[in-house]
Amino acid sequence: MAIITLPYRYLERLAGTDRQTLIDRIPMIGADIERIEEDHVDVEFFPNRPDLYSPEGVARAMRGFLGIEEGLPAYTVRPSGITFTIDPGLAGIRPFLGSAVIRNVSFDEEAIESLMSLQEALHWAVGRGRGKVAIGVHDLDAVTPPFRYIASPRDRSFVPLDFEEEMTMEEILAGHPKGRDYAHLVENFQRFPLIVDARDRVLSFPPIINGELTRVTTETKNILLDCTGTDRKAVMIAVNIICTALAEAGATIETVTVEGQEMPTLAPAERTVSVAECSRLLGLSLTPEEMAQHLRRMRFGAEPDGDSRVRVLVPCYRADILHDWDIFEDVAIAHGVENFDAVLPATDTVAQEHPITAIAGAVRSVMTGLGYLEAIPFTLTNERVLYTNMQREPAPGTLRVLHPISEEQTVVRTDLLPLLMELLQANKHRELPQRLFAVGDVVVDCVTYQKVAGVSIHPAADFSEAYAAADVLCRELSLSYTVAESVDPAFLDGRRGDIIVDGKIAGVFGEIHPTVLNAFDLEHPVAALALDLTAVPGYPVPPGTP
Amino acid sequence: MELTLNEKKLLVALGPVGSADAADLADLMETRREAVVQYANLAGERGLVDVEKRVSRRYTPTEEGQAYIGKGLPERQVLESFGETIPMRDLQSHPLAKIAIGWMRKKNWIAIKDGVVQKTGTTAPGPDEVAFARASESGSVEDGVGVADLIKRGLVQEEETVAYTVSITSFGRQLLAGGLDLQEEVGTLTRDQILSGAWKNLPLRRYDVTKLPKRAYPGKVHPYQRIIDEMRRILFDMGFEEMAGGIVQSSFWNFDALFQPQDHPAREMQDTFFLGERWPLPKGFERVRDMHEHGGETSSTGWGGAWSAAKAEQCVLRTHTTSLSIQHLAEHPKPPVKAFCIGRVYRREAIDPTHLAEFEQLEGIVMDEDVNFRHLLGFLKEFYGKMGFEKVRFRPGYFPYTEPSVEPEVYVEGLGWVELGGSGIFRQEVTAPFGIDYPVLAWGLGISRVAMLRLGLRDLRQLYKSDVEWVRETPTYGGRR
Repeated sequence: MAIITLPYRYLERLAGTDRQTLIDRIPMIGADIERIEEDHVDVEFFPNRPDLYSPEGVARAMRGFLGIEEGLPAYTVRPSGITFTIDPGLAGIRPFLGSAVIRNVSFDEEAIESLMSLQEALHWAVGRGRGKVAIGVHDLDAVTPPFRYIASPRDRSFVPLDFEEEMTMEEILAGHPKGRDYAHLVENFQRFPLIVDARDRVLSFPPIINGELTRVTTETKNILLDCTGTDRKAVMIAVNIICTALAEAGATIETVTVEGQEMPTLAPAERTVSVAECSRLLGLSLTPEEMAQHLRRMRFGAEPDGDSRVRVLVPCYRADILHDWDIFEDVAIAHGVENFDAVLPATDTVAQEHPITAIAGAVRSVMTGLGYLEAIPFTLTNERVLYTNMQREPAPGTLRVLHPISEEQTVVRTDLLPLLMELLQANKHRELPQRLFAVGDVVVDCVTYQKVAGVSIHPAADFSEAYAAADVLCRELSLSYTVAESVDPAFLDGRRGDIIVDGKIAGVFGEIHPTVLNAFDLEHPVAALALDLTAVPGYPVPPGTP
Repeated sequence: MELTLNEKKLLVALGPVGSADAADLADLMETRREAVVQYANLAGERGLVDVEKRVSRRYTPTEEGQAYIGKGLPERQVLESFGETIPMRDLQSHPLAKIAIGWMRKKNWIAIKDGVVQKTGTTAPGPDEVAFARASESGSVEDGVGVADLIKRGLVQEEETVAYTVSITSFGRQLLAGGLDLQEEVGTLTRDQILSGAWKNLPLRRYDVTKLPKRAYPGKVHPYQRIIDEMRRILFDMGFEEMAGGIVQSSFWNFDALFQPQDHPAREMQDTFFLGERWPLPKGFERVRDMHEHGGETSSTGWGGAWSAAKAEQCVLRTHTTSLSIQHLAEHPKPPVKAFCIGRVYRREAIDPTHLAEFEQLEGIVMDEDVNFRHLLGFLKEFYGKMGFEKVRFRPGYFPYTEPSVEPEVYVEGLGWVELGGSGIFRQEVTAPFGIDYPVLAWGLGISRVAMLRLGLRDLRQLYKSDVEWVRETPTYGGRR
């Protein structure tokens, strides 16, 4: 999540209003206030709005939202004359480069920190952990243009940021903290991406680390920005967001010529949208002028285009406008989500219970009638509980999660009975008798279906109790069944029966084997039953599958 | 005052003797000593008798101790097995040497010099030997000097005996003097007594209504399931159809069909439980692919880049029930549709009191020709209102598959405004590939949060690894919060 620190004084100066108004109204453009502190507020902005990941971007949006300054923000760019070439060898490694020159910055420590946190938030939201886009900012005056973005041999060395000694790029991956964090993004390539100046000095080893040479300090006046990545659109969005944020802070933006293309233009994209479609979606009746007004408050350029359409200029920093409805959402925000009149539609429909939950409901009624307490165990468990403790062979089709979070939760349950045994163990110190049941999903071979299981623990629990419970459950579910001696090793030989429906085993009941009792640390006999609910008449076929 | 039959019998037995040991009374009353103690205590509470409890401790030889009875402690036995001196080597061959030599030295009975053991002459029996001799003779010894040493050596063990002396009080005597009817009281009426009318002349035992009964526990639906059923009931009342479906979903249905880009962080293994299994793509998946790559036939640009079918085939444990909603809509693309689902969803989170790797989500969808954003807010207000959250407000939200999106908040006494779920209108990028031509209002919430608020829980795990005692003690009907 992107949590952005907004210092009040800076924000107030940029936004042109007081802190209380800002704190009250920021949530209504789409944000969660995390913490309100003495001198700043921490706000979480949504991942689709990376343009709000800086105080400058927030101030820009709030000036519009509060009616202080509306419409498309204008950014002028002029050429810097600086050029960049891209080595064709990068095509399969990290092909795209976006760049710009930002002049007349005035950084104090706080401003540098703010820029760094914008950079980190963009790495997360746009850069997908630097893979898709990585951003570098450099002191332009420490190096000499033109610049080259090259595919370098891996043993090239330079002094990385925060170090004093030269290291080879391979050494950086092994020894520099950033190298270790991001090595996985490049280590499989024969050559590594590298940015060098006219004198072959290293500016950056994207997406890993900049050189110490171009470190940005409070003395820095002019910046060279590089954004490299694997997606052209994402690279340019990152360039636009950083350039416009720094322009809001007072810097001037100059273009760089990358492989003959001058960038950034900071020009808006154009869309013409339907007023009627917007009104229909939001349940409002808007005129083109009203809609355009709303959009100008959201910092779009917007003018009515005839009677039924609005021509919209989308600012270059808005990464989230994919579809006309994305613009309509901004109309809703400008209107004020709190100002909509909530109504119920006339849609007339008839309720319908799902047959599986209907069967589960019947099971609950029978089992509680027998004095059983319901349990709702986890579906993730492990093979020790599911199989080893039960003396059972692992069921074919047991699903293993690829990256379990703990040894306790490695597989999806194929049965409920073992989980009830585990629950008896956890409740060992509680008064007996204890009778527990669970009804719920199990999964075999990607197919989800439902089972019920019941356990009864007390000094007199026996086969007869299990049989009686299994019998009443089947009868109450209108399930005609026969019983055959079971071979289920979780139960005691001679005291176990299989519930047979249509020639297939649909369930089992009996006395739990003492070895299983020992495995679950239980000291009294357990009468148990389990039933597959797909056997119940009326169970829908086929069961849910991916 | 009404006396129970047992109280009467006790008074009668005590009458001639005034005071007696419980064991003797048991003989007189032809019952067990424990029973007498019980009656006497009850009678004591009513002032009929006094009960004096005396606890005494005595010490009897342990198994090891028994072996020394009549022979003396090992060190004494060994000491007496030789004269003034003996070579150490010879002494060690005595069967008790191992225990005895240490004790003889400790008690200063011997000195060892150059491998020769020499008696010191001060070999009088100590208090431990005196105590042991007493225990040997009479089978036990009372607490006293020397006993502690014997306990430490494991030669005697403590036995606690409790004696009860029951004495009749003057109030008891008064009642006894007034004459007592010793006819047997009747507890449970028999079939015969009821039919014959004999019950009319029977002394029916009176029960003390101030005494709480033995606790009984009914079989019960789990408190969490009751909340789930209450929510289902609300949605049925509002005319919704119930959906159900598989826990395992292909990434296609869990993510791609919902226009979640293939490089979205939620699709990384840190956040989602992936399985090794794959599931073939459904017919018409190309429309979803086109939507991702360039926005299909809508006004969308799509995400750009190349969409991978292989990535869409990977199975996951569903991260939301929205995967069921979109499949339901794909099967029912014509309006109106009002459907809901309550099902378990999975997030790869480390488990702690407020985070679980699996929990229930409720989701509702409404699709119809003229539904709009205001109707979405209307459904949310109605649903939360019926859940008992009367104050509901809305803020802009963000969810990858809805646009516009809204975060509903409800007011909870003592907590303030609490964010409860998310909602929005399905993006056209989600609905268009399945031929769904009308807006789909959708909302969802993690209902374990609601259960926590309702049941006053601090730890979500209590819902899934429940303490039996908690389920027993949580009332079936809790009333409204």
